[in-house]
Amino acid sequence: MFIEYSEEQTMLRDSAEKYLRDNYSFENRQATVKESAGFNADQWQTFADLGWLAMTFQEDAGGFGGGALETMILCEQFGKYLVLEPYLESVVLVGGLIEVGGQTAIREQYLSGLIAGQLQGALAYLEEGSVGDPLQVQMRAESSAGGFLLSGKKTVVLNGPEADFFLVTARTEATDQSSGQGISLFVLDKNAIGLSRKNYKTYDGRSACELELNNVSVGPDAVLGEVGDAYELALPVFHRAVVAVCAEAVGAMDALMAATVDYTKQRKQFGQPLSSFQVLRHRMADMYMEIELTRSLLMATAWKLDNSAPDAAQCVSALKAKMGKAGRFVSHNAIQLHGGIGTTDEFNVGHYFKRLAAISVMFGSRDSHLSRYNQL
Amino acid sequence: MKDSSFRGEVQAFLRESLTPEIKRAGELMTSVFSDFDAGLAWHKILYKKGWVAPDWPLEYGGTGWSLSQRYIFQEECKLANAPALFALGLQMLGPMLMQCGTEAQKQQYLPKILSGEDAWCQGYSEPGAGSDLASLMTAAVREGDDYIINGSKIWTSYAQHSNRIFCLVRTSKEGKPQAGISFILIDMDTEGLTVEPIVGLDAPHGHMHIHFVDVRVPAANLVGEENQGWQVAKSLLEFERGGHNYAIDHKKQMAKIRRQANSQYSANRVLWKDNPVFSAKFADVAVDALALEFTELRVKGAFEAGENAGPLSSLTKVMGTEIGQRFNELSLEIMAEHAFVKQLDALTPSFEGEVIGPACGLTTMPEYINNRSATIYGGTAEIQRDIIAKRVLLL
Repeated sequence: MFIEYSEEQTMLRDSAEKYLRDNYSFENRQATVKESAGFNADQWQTFADLGWLAMTFQEDAGGFGGGALETMILCEQFGKYLVLEPYLESVVLVGGLIEVGGQTAIREQYLSGLIAGQLQGALAYLEEGSVGDPLQVQMRAESSAGGFLLSGKKTVVLNGPEADFFLVTARTEATDQSSGQGISLFVLDKNAIGLSRKNYKTYDGRSACELELNNVSVGPDAVLGEVGDAYELALPVFHRAVVAVCAEAVGAMDALMAATVDYTKQRKQFGQPLSSFQVLRHRMADMYMEIELTRSLLMATAWKLDNSAPDAAQCVSALKAKMGKAGRFVSHNAIQLHGGIGTTDEFNVGHYFKRLAAISVMFGSRDSHLSRYNQL
Repeated sequence: MKDSSFRGEVQAFLRESLTPEIKRAGELMTSVFSDFDAGLAWHKILYKKGWVAPDWPLEYGGTGWSLSQRYIFQEECKLANAPALFALGLQMLGPMLMQCGTEAQKQQYLPKILSGEDAWCQGYSEPGAGSDLASLMTAAVREGDDYIINGSKIWTSYAQHSNRIFCLVRTSKEGKPQAGISFILIDMDTEGLTVEPIVGLDAPHGHMHIHFVDVRVPAANLVGEENQGWQVAKSLLEFERGGHNYAIDHKKQMAKIRRQANSQYSANRVLWKDNPVFSAKFADVAVDALALEFTELRVKGAFEAGENAGPLSSLTKVMGTEIGQRFNELSLEIMAEHAFVKQLDALTPSFEGEVIGPACGLTTMPEYINNRSATIYGGTAEIQRDIIAKRVLLL
């Protein structure tokens, strides 16, 4: 199996790269971080106009029929330019879940708005004390008058402050707390009665919120997929999301590599450029190898997901585990080789580092994916 | 006094003297620095008790404690969450003045370091002189009874809270770079000296960039002879390396991780403390921390026996900081997404609002971020390894 891009995929990569290089400067990005909104609405609209938000939806939903490879191509560029806009949250996760599980009415209500950049979604699935495991769902959904009453709390809901609607996981059956059975996925409007949120910023410059539901009433048509089957439904979407964040990580690591090589060539100490010291040259060679190995796993995993290869799930875990190790090694050493300047807010290196730290724990840590890799 | 009864005495003092707010500042430390006001309040309490400078000789206001008593004191303070003192005066300038300062300098400065009236910051690094400190360019030119200083210093921690700074400046370009450096004391309110903040990666404390434009300083403020500053600085750097007990920091980190592992769940509703992979990783770092603790005690033993443990000082700096960083990573693995929540308000001791998410994870991300600089400041991990290779292994 040789991994190569089609002509369309190469064009997508090149045009995304060019747009972001010309229009997404680090200075503008930092200005957005300091504002109360979680991202730049003009940028988001442009992403929609460029067709990026539609790229991975099927044609019948108004998309271009792209898959994990297209997700990867876009996210790699987002990582390289530290893009803040919630492509992962609104498109990959929420859009992906609605596409696989939404009834016709829900698809019609939300998908075209998401693709057009007019609606924002957020997935609320983490709960306090057990954030590493999406199966730990204590939030209850009680049957009531043909519909459901939802009560409980969700934590670190990424893009929550910007969301027009939420997808929320809750237990519809009194199954064991670690069971994959009995979890359902509900669509909730942000103005639903009984729903409250507490907004904040995250260390990697995004926005998130805590969500509290107090007897929020929804009809039976608010369920995505079959009642009790949310975990099965969500699994392929989570796989796609792992590809998305790992692609972002590879883009971020590429940027760190380039910055570090550049800086060590310019910076002189003891009368010579840092790049002439063997210990630093070897360190950079190790960074390069970590990045390329991760990239290989990334490309293969995206390809396998698109082709429903039998070992695709195992590759997803291999990828996430490898990214965790590589991301740490590359970001830590990028700062170390920059010295003090790498720890300042004005320099981009530390911001890549913070984003990589966040990605490393999202959708399961390195350790949890190593054990999953062994089990699959 | 026996060590055990001494420890009891220290514990009793800490129980009655550490106010909740001062203690909170210790709990909320996310780097080697604590909230300045809380640290100063604690400094004054220790000063009143006569315990603020255990490392100083008795005649200058020390405690007369043995090395092991001093170690016990540091350990108990840390584990009781006493905030760190802003210690550049106590730990660095004070001992140096005792060795190299004039009688007048000692009388003028030492009592005010002890009382906390003076806060000293350090002006060593420059934009172009980091690891290669001897290449520093900030110039001091003699004019009558004064020096005129021009240039800039960078990464000066807590300069915004300091009223004085000790600096390395260039007084000659003859010979080796080290041979033209002098050590000088400067008042922060001198005309021509300005302080500009460097915004760190969400660090609640600040490093500063200091600019000198025709700053006039009396020549009497020189410590040691002109062009002898490098020797003075070198002894201070040794002090900076050998004087810090990393093992005590690690104990505080381990206590924090245990609190997290006892309350947070990994996959399948297994507490992190019962997760075999995590336990093995924690033990791996803990064993290295233990080995380092015994190494630090060896250094102290050698010192007490009048021997020079110099080479081991570089080892403790490298290992101490790298082990600390590994603990930060373990902590981040436990707290996972909870660590993302940026709530800088909640990191101030006076905060009375509600913490978002588990309180045990409040400092996880800022600690992880801030501690990246531990292998950079005070001589990078690479420079320290070079020192081991050159001076110990004679390569």
